[in-house]
Order: sequence, then C-alpha cells, then structure tokens
Amino acid sequence: MARTTTRTDAREAVIGRSTRVRGKIAGDGDLLVDGSIEGDVTIRGDLTVSSGATLASNVDANAVTVRGDVEGDIAARGMVRIEAGARVRGDISGESFALEEGAEFAGRLDAQFDLPAELGGSGHTGKRR
Amino acid sequence: MASTVIGAGITIEGEVTSDDDVVVQGTLRGKLVAKDAVTVESGGVVEADIAGGPVSVGGTVTGNIHSSDRVDLQNGAKVIGNVKATRITIADGAQFKGNVDMDV
Repeated sequence: MARTTTRTDAREAVIGRSTRVRGKIAGDGDLLVDGSIEGDVTIRGDLTVSSGATLASNVDANAVTVRGDVEGDIAARGMVRIEAGARVRGDISGESFALEEGAEFAGRLDAQFDLPAELGGSGHTGKRR
Repeated sequence: MASTVIGAGITIEGEVTSDDDVVVQGTLRGKLVAKDAVTVESGGVVEADIAGGPVSVGGTVTGNIHSSDRVDLQNGAKVIGNVKATRITIADGAQFKGNVDMDV
C-alpha cells in the first residue's frame, strides 16, 4: 500500500488495511489506522483513522483526524477533525474541533470556542453540548 | 514496506491479526497471527505466540513461533520458545532457547 509507506518511520505505527487488533494500544508515537481496532488507544502522538478503517475504542491522543468509523469517546489534547465520510458515535473533547460536511457525528461535544459577535459578543467563550 | 508497523514507541496488549505482513519495532504482548511475513526488528519485543508466513527475528521474542514458510533468527535476536517451520536459520550471534520442529 503505497499510501502508508511514505508515512512510516520509527515514531509511527501503522495498522494496515487487513489487520485487526483486539486489545490495548499505548505509546508515544503517532498511529495511523487503516484496519480495525477493538480496544482502547492511548498515545501521545497523533491518531489518524483512514477511510474504511474502524475503531471500537476510547481514544486518548494529541490531534485526532477521522475519515473512517469510530465508536467510542475521543479525548484529544489538540485538534479533532471529523472529515467527510467519517462516522463517529461517542463523546469528543479537544482543544478545537472541525466537523466537515458529509461526516456523521452522534455524541456530545466538549470544546472551547469563541462565540461570534452576533451571538453574544466577541471575547465570550462558550461551551456547547 | 509493510502494511502494518508497530512503531518503536508503541505497545500493544492483545491480539493482532493480519492478512498481510507485520513489522514489530515496538512491543507486542498477546498473540500475533499474520498470513504474510512477520518481522521483529532489532529493539522490537514480542511476548506472544507468533503464527505467520516467513518470520524474521532481530529483536526479542518470548513465545512459540509457527511459520508456514521459514524462520530466520538474525544476529542480535533473542528467542525463548519453540520454533516450528520447514526451514530455519540461526545466525551467529542469535540467542535461542527452545525446541526446533522442522516437520521431518
């Protein structure tokens, strides 16, 4: 799979398309998931869930990008991006959050953001559920 | 290049199953089943039974290795467990404790 090879180095782990993991994954590198994982993922690096990949996991990571299916809570220290074609069921917390058109999301969202001026003025920080 | 790479900073506790090849640079505890090649690189630690195609070990394996093809224990490898394969090489500098079954 050409796409995965270019991104591989010692700091990154790749779960390939035909690979299935049942159990816990922990570590300090990045994780790219093309296959499927059942079990919690706790990493210090970034998590990317590719299109076609499935995760049945609670996730704790830095930045999280989802293009596949995730069932479980996502706790990110950085940005959470739910991109087109993704399906996410679970609660999300992160520093910032982006939900693209064409993505499905069912769950609670916990992210800090600034309210636009017409919705209560600038400088206000809201919390949305 | 491998489709599945368990990177140096990563620990998996559980079962890994793959139709392709798997490279372990980090730590895997549990069970590893691959239809294609399994490579445990230098620095990689596998505390699990391994079933796969060709298996190459440069790191540490504690567990039984069952290959449908060949097993190569490279210089620097440390393997504690039984090895079952049709062809086996143990390089100078590899440490190995266990039984060999070449199905003769």
